[in-house]
Amino acid sequence: MSNLVYLMCSLPALTFGQNPTITLDEFNKDAKSQLSTKHFKKLEAADIRKSDSNGTKSGLKSIDELLDDVRQDCSEIRNAKAQSRTPNLNRLPKAVLGANPLEREKMIMQLQWDELESAGANETFTFTEVVVYKLKLQILNRLHSFDEERGAQVLASVVNPAKKEEA
Amino acid sequence: MAGVKIKYTKTERAKQKKILKVSQRMLPLFEAMEKSLMATVNAITERIDEIRQVIDANTQKAKPWLAVMSDAYVDVNAFIKVNKVNTKAVDVAGVRVQQYESVDFHVMPIDDDTPLWVDDAIELMQEQLQLLAEIKCLEEQIVLLEEELLDVRARVKLFENRRIPNAKMAIRKIGQKLQDDERLTIATAKVVKTGKQEEVLV
Repeated sequence: MSNLVYLMCSLPALTFGQNPTITLDEFNKDAKSQLSTKHFKKLEAADIRKSDSNGTKSGLKSIDELLDDVRQDCSEIRNAKAQSRTPNLNRLPKAVLGANPLEREKMIMQLQWDELESAGANETFTFTEVVVYKLKLQILNRLHSFDEERGAQVLASVVNPAKKEEA
Repeated sequence: MAGVKIKYTKTERAKQKKILKVSQRMLPLFEAMEKSLMATVNAITERIDEIRQVIDANTQKAKPWLAVMSDAYVDVNAFIKVNKVNTKAVDVAGVRVQQYESVDFHVMPIDDDTPLWVDDAIELMQEQLQLLAEIKCLEEQIVLLEEELLDVRARVKLFENRRIPNAKMAIRKIGQKLQDDERLTIATAKVVKTGKQEEVLV
């Protein structure tokens, strides 16, 4: 318990949209030194990118449900597009359908963030709070990786490999 | 013509006249071919410009969301590859070239964990890759057409500057020579005839 308190107190606060002031590697290093092996393994398995397909659940029911719902909604959007029909969304807001791909990803991440905030609201100095922190840090890392110039370079590297070589 | 020895015979003159006739008939054909090739190359260049404008327009349209393509969690490079560009052989202005038909893509299956933006990115990439493949085919067509154009221009110059003037000069020179020979023969015959008449009188 005291280690958890120490760990959570040593971590910087996270706000949606900000540049993360701590890297995932730094977080994992701190967590490894402060948590038990069992807890750390559980923490390592928690990943915002995967829901239940690879058995890497966060270990938190509400968060797993959220990740599953988002995954199913994404799948529904894909199927609806293929079948030229309106998707029937469970968790995602309808606004995602009209948004451009960047805005859509941001909306999905905002939804995940809000759900994580709710899940961690009454979990001060618990393992749940640590898992929530990791998942929020993953969201910030991903959000921070979005860059127009680098995105254009990625497109150019696929569409015109010669440009990639020049760069 | 310099260095070429002309045979001053009627046969040679007939041969040169034939060369002149054929050359004068061929020259307009090569000139027409040159014009046609130039027009085709210009049309293809315009088409390439149009396609480039479409590519730029697509990129501009995607600009508001291009940032998502640098997603740290997704390597979009792995999702799409060009398997083969399908073309068919056609004759353009008398030159055999490959015309763009379609592109065969290898698109990796998308699982449910893959972010939705990847679908849009693949669509965009497919469109841009198809347009670029068409540009590549058209550029290859231009290379072939320009090679043919160079060849045709060389022929036009050959006819205009060498064959026709040389044949005309040869015909003129042979004509003069044959005329001179004829005059000389007549003059000699007259001299001989006069000499014989004088001998008879003496």
